Amino acid sequence: MRKLTAMFSLVLALGGAAAAQAQEATGSTTDTKSLSVTGNVPAMCAGGTITSGAGTFPLGVLIDTTTGLLRTDLAAPDKVLAGSFCSTRSTITIGATALAAQNFTSTAPSGFSRSVDYTATAQGWTVTPAAYTTGAAANAAATQTRASAFSGDITVHIGDFATTGGAALRPVADNSYLGTVTITLATAN
Amino acid sequence: MAAGRATLSLALTALALAVPAGSAWAQAASAKQDFAVSGNTPAVCTLQRGRIQAGGLVNIAGLDGDTLRIENLADRQTLATRAASATISFAAMCNFPHQVRIESQNNGLWPTDARQAIAVPGFATAVPYRASLAWGAVNGTLDAQANVRRQATSLTTVADPVVGDVLVRIEIAQGASNTQVNAPLVAGTYDDTVRIFLEPR
Repeated sequence: MRKLTAMFSLVLALGGAAAAQAQEATGSTTDTKSLSVTGNVPAMCAGGTITSGAGTFPLGVLIDTTTGLLRTDLAAPDKVLAGSFCSTRSTITIGATALAAQNFTSTAPSGFSRSVDYTATAQGWTVTPAAYTTGAAANAAATQTRASAFSGDITVHIGDFATTGGAALRPVADNSYLGTVTITLATAN
Repeated sequence: MAAGRATLSLALTALALAVPAGSAWAQAASAKQDFAVSGNTPAVCTLQRGRIQAGGLVNIAGLDGDTLRIENLADRQTLATRAASATISFAAMCNFPHQVRIESQNNGLWPTDARQAIAVPGFATAVPYRASLAWGAVNGTLDAQANVRRQATSLTTVADPVVGDVLVRIEIAQGASNTQVNAPLVAGTYDDTVRIFLEPR
C-alpha cells in the first residue's frame, strides 16, 4: 500500500498545479529533480563538391592517327573534391574501370585492343595517396586509412595510360571509350 | 511547464537514440563520388611505302621509289612478252571494318607514247597482267586485261580491323598481249599505275 502511494505522488508532481498539493501532502519546502540531457555526433563522411569542372576526365582522341597506337601524351586536368570531411577515423578507397569501347563490343582482332588501362590516384586525404591501376592483378594501395577526423580537399588524378594487352596493340576505332573512377570515404572502426 | 519541457526532452532523446538503426545513419557513414573517363578513337587507315619482297622475283630490276621496273619486258629475239613477277609489301593498318580497293589506271601496260598504242597488224600494243592482293584474312585479284585502255578496279570488303602487310603480287604471263599469245610488242616504254586503297566501306 505504501508503494502505490509513492507512485501516485510522482505523477502529480509532473502535473503542474496539482504538484503543490502533493508538496503540501509531504510537508517539504523544496524539491529537486535531476534531468539528464544527452546527444551524440554521428560518425559520418561527406564527399564534398567538384570544383574543377564537370565530373568527367575528357581525354579526347586516344590514338596517334599516323600510327594508330595509343598516344603517349594522354592527359586530363585533375579533379578536386572540395569540402570533403569525415567526423571520425576514416578510409579512402579508390576504384576504377578501364576505358572500354562502347560500340565495338566483340573481341578485338589480333593486333588490336578495345580497352585502355590507367592509374587513378586520390591525394590529400592520407599521407600515401590511394591508387588504383585498372588491369592490375592486385591494388594494395587502393584503400588508405586516416586515423583522425579530417576536412579537406581531395585531388583525383589519372595517368600512366596503356593499351590493354600491350603497347604494340592498337585501340579499335570507336567514338566512345568510357571508364569510371570512384572515390569512397567511409568511417572506420 | 517545467515538467512539460522535461517530458519533451526525454522524448527527443529517445528518438535520437533510435536513429542508428535506420537507413539515414548508414548512408552518412560513407560518401561516394564517381568520375567518368572518356575518350574516342577515330577510324584510321595507314599505308606505308612499298617494299619489294626478296624472294620470288622474276625478270624484275627492282623497286625504284614507287616504280616497279621490269628488266626485259620483251624477248630480244621474238619481241614476245617475257614473264615477270614480283611481290611488294606495304605495312598497313585499319582500325575499323573497311574495304581494300586495287585499281589499275590503264587496265594493262600500255605504251607511254600514245602514238605507239595505235593498233598495227601483227603486233601487240598492250600487255595484260594480274595483280593479286592479300590483306589479313582476305584476298583479292585484279585482272588488267589490256583489251581496252580504261580504269579497272577490284574491291574486297574486310569485316575486321587489320594490322600487318598488304601484299601485292604483280604477274605478267609469258607471251601475254592484247592480241594473241606471243605476239611481238610494238617498241616503246610501257607502263601502268596500280593504286591500293584502304578505305571505309
